[in-house]
Amino acid sequence: MTDAHQFETFVRRYQNLVYATAVRLLGNPAEAEDVAQTVFLKAFQRFETIGSSPAAAGWLQTVTRNACLNHLSRYRARWQFFSELEQPDGEAFEPAVQEAAEADDTARHAQLEEALQRLPDHQRVPLVLFHFEDASYQNIADTLGVSVGKVKTDIHRGREALRRLLT
Amino acid sequence: MASADPERFADAVGARLRQLPLPAAPHTLLPRVMAAAQAWARRPWYTRAWFTWPPGWQAASIALLCVLGAGAVLLLPGAASAVARMASVNAAVVLWRTFVRPVAPYAFAFAALMCLACAVFGAALNHVVFGRTVQP
Repeated sequence: MTDAHQFETFVRRYQNLVYATAVRLLGNPAEAEDVAQTVFLKAFQRFETIGSSPAAAGWLQTVTRNACLNHLSRYRARWQFFSELEQPDGEAFEPAVQEAAEADDTARHAQLEEALQRLPDHQRVPLVLFHFEDASYQNIADTLGVSVGKVKTDIHRGREALRRLLT
Repeated sequence: MASADPERFADAVGARLRQLPLPAAPHTLLPRVMAAAQAWARRPWYTRAWFTWPPGWQAASIALLCVLGAGAVLLLPGAASAVARMASVNAAVVLWRTFVRPVAPYAFAFAALMCLACAVFGAALNHVVFGRTVQP
């Protein structure tokens, strides 16, 4: 099996993991696909060490998380500035909340995923890091360069915004 | 789901979120990644890291660097005398003799040593940490 075939198998195996991490953090499928491509290119450049490593999944998740945070800070300028502003929580989110009540499980999953993507960056990112990446409040605060109190507040507001969908 | 008890509320939201299946990657991702990887593998050798250049070109680049360094050393006295001949720039001559000329050989030797150390350290790092670079 050539390197190209091995790498293709590798991408097929991990593409959902990388894409899911990216789309949940970025809330934008097109940007998530761009980041996923960048992450796999990095993996290709180190494929001889990563390709057969049992830590490949963890490496990919870490690189994806960092790439997403870099993307957010680079292309959605003044991330911290906007995150400090008070925003009307769940305003754009309301239609999805109302529609969710009648949906079945699959549709509810899709709508919950969509609702997660609709959360503002400063709520979605810490929420995803906390619940999907198992990061601690302190770790999230260090990563995002904000206070632990702000992380807790943003996560709580994100949960509140999702709450109506889950009931 | 009541949000009166923050801990239970957080656990409940977390449980629901973790039940979500992984969003499937779009079908366009794999072809995009493979095309990008092939383009990266096919790029010309001179756009790659120096450590991955063909050995001949690595040797040639080192030789060129040595020639440039030797040329600089050989031309240094000539440049100094040219500066000295310029009578109208006495201040520059004084500055040159006072500050630059005494330390110039040491500065050059230091810079050359640093370049050599960087090259050795980079080569060692490349072999120890990153392993071999993927070849197409």
